[in-house]
Amino acid sequence: MIDIKHLEIGYQNKRQYNSVFKDMNMTFNAGDLVGLMGDNGVGKSTFLKTITGTLVPLSGEIKINNKNITQYNTQQLSQLLSIVVTEKIGGFNLTVWDVVASGRIPYINIFGKLTSDDESIVTKALEQLNLFPLKEKLIDELSDGQRQKVMIAKSLAQQTPIIILDEPTAFLDHTSKHHLFATLKQLCTEQGKLIIVSSHDLELMKSYINKSVTMAINNHLEIK
Amino acid sequence: MSKSKFIFTTLMLLLVLAVLIICDLCLGSINLFSLEKSNPMFSSILYDIRLPKTITSIIAGSGLALCGLLMQSLFRNPLAGPYVLGVSSGSSLFVAIATMMISSIQVSGFFIMGKSIITLFSILGAFFVTTIILLVSKKNKNNVTVLLVGLMLGQILSALQGLIEYMSNADNLKTFVMWGMGSVGSSTMEDLYFIIPIYTIAIIASFFFIKPLNAILLNEQYAQNLGVNVNALRLSIITISAIIVGVITAFCGPIAFVGISVPIASRLFFKTSHHLHQITFCLLLGASVVLLADVVCQILSSQFTLPINTVTTLIGSPVVIYLLFKSKLNVG
Repeated sequence: MIDIKHLEIGYQNKRQYNSVFKDMNMTFNAGDLVGLMGDNGVGKSTFLKTITGTLVPLSGEIKINNKNITQYNTQQLSQLLSIVVTEKIGGFNLTVWDVVASGRIPYINIFGKLTSDDESIVTKALEQLNLFPLKEKLIDELSDGQRQKVMIAKSLAQQTPIIILDEPTAFLDHTSKHHLFATLKQLCTEQGKLIIVSSHDLELMKSYINKSVTMAINNHLEIK
Repeated sequence: MSKSKFIFTTLMLLLVLAVLIICDLCLGSINLFSLEKSNPMFSSILYDIRLPKTITSIIAGSGLALCGLLMQSLFRNPLAGPYVLGVSSGSSLFVAIATMMISSIQVSGFFIMGKSIITLFSILGAFFVTTIILLVSKKNKNNVTVLLVGLMLGQILSALQGLIEYMSNADNLKTFVMWGMGSVGSSTMEDLYFIIPIYTIAIIASFFFIKPLNAILLNEQYAQNLGVNVNALRLSIITISAIIVGVITAFCGPIAFVGISVPIASRLFFKTSHHLHQITFCLLLGASVVLLADVVCQILSSQFTLPINTVTTLIGSPVVIYLLFKSKLNVG
């Protein structure tokens, strides 16, 4: 599903060329739950931003479904992979329903109107994560764990075969962390999604993932 | 918000607006009902004085409220607005420069041309400031920093304007000061033929950005992942806002308060985040607020016109403060 060959990631502008990590080679398949590990600053977020198309690879290639990521436009990528990031969202009267329904944005008309099909997809996503009773609640009223689940439900409503989560367990307590990974595992096995998660919770993650990528300094990459 | 509730709320707001339009047309120093309809004074007062003022109030109120909403969503900050971010000051300064230039060349007789140059300068001023704010917000993600830069920029531009005013003659100075207080009563029907097409295009254009605006409320990363071209959205919103603020400021002066507070009030009153709803409500609520301010002006003193800025701020601010205290929820 995702083929990465000789990938070099980092930041580049007119003035500087900042290589963060070199020569990355790996393959992820549908149904994989991949754990991405590594110390702070080693380049996990840069890697995730590159495979989601936010950053351009410095060299090498990323192929999604045998097509180079640079050949997809923003609209096509939005139907191929969805993200869950660490930054908290909220305010502006955003309810649980609004946020999950935003997952349908790539598919709906320019006035943002949901069809009944879209609504049933949003409802199903809410039900899958047991969020349906909370649908009228404002995001600001939720706990950190619930917020995280809402963002995952948004990803489900986006109906992408690939979901990428950057440190989703950062604000969660022990029980919520286990619950989150159990949910992700279920999505991989039952729906065949490819999910890539970065986290510092090594021990916790080990019992759920079937593939691990560890990034370390000096371009040391370990894949199990 | 359900469809039926949206339609009901819109109809209610339209009703309020209609009542205010009638009040605004009826009130004034001369009682229209005491005049015969055949009296030439009747049509002169109604069509040459009151109607332009009422239409200007609607345009100024709805336009500024819409700009406030667009900026608050784009910056994801409830404190953003054309006045706070210095956009109105940018327009003011450029208008002052244009007025000085025109009066020094003394092109009387080219009245309409003079106004279109002033409007163009006003739009350029608004565009200039919004672009700076946007560049700052790209470099520095901290919302407080962006607002502070906007405030400082507004101060600098006001100071420069003060300098121009200091150097101008007594006549120009009086024009500036009166204009700076904001007024909806100085536009003529001819002015409106110029304002209405620009305003209408900008308003209609904003409805085409409902979907990306809904997405950007999450944050820029999510918006991009949902297929939104964030840079194009930024440029479009800035252009729309600059045109609306520029045109309104050129004809009515820098009007404070409406741009920032109407979107806040609209979110507090109507619990929805969808931009189809919020754009509609802000347009109607903004128009009503400025009309109400004008009606209050007429009731308080029918002999002279109070500066609109004073009234909008005096009526509106306590209402928003009350709403903010009453509502425990985050409006931003």
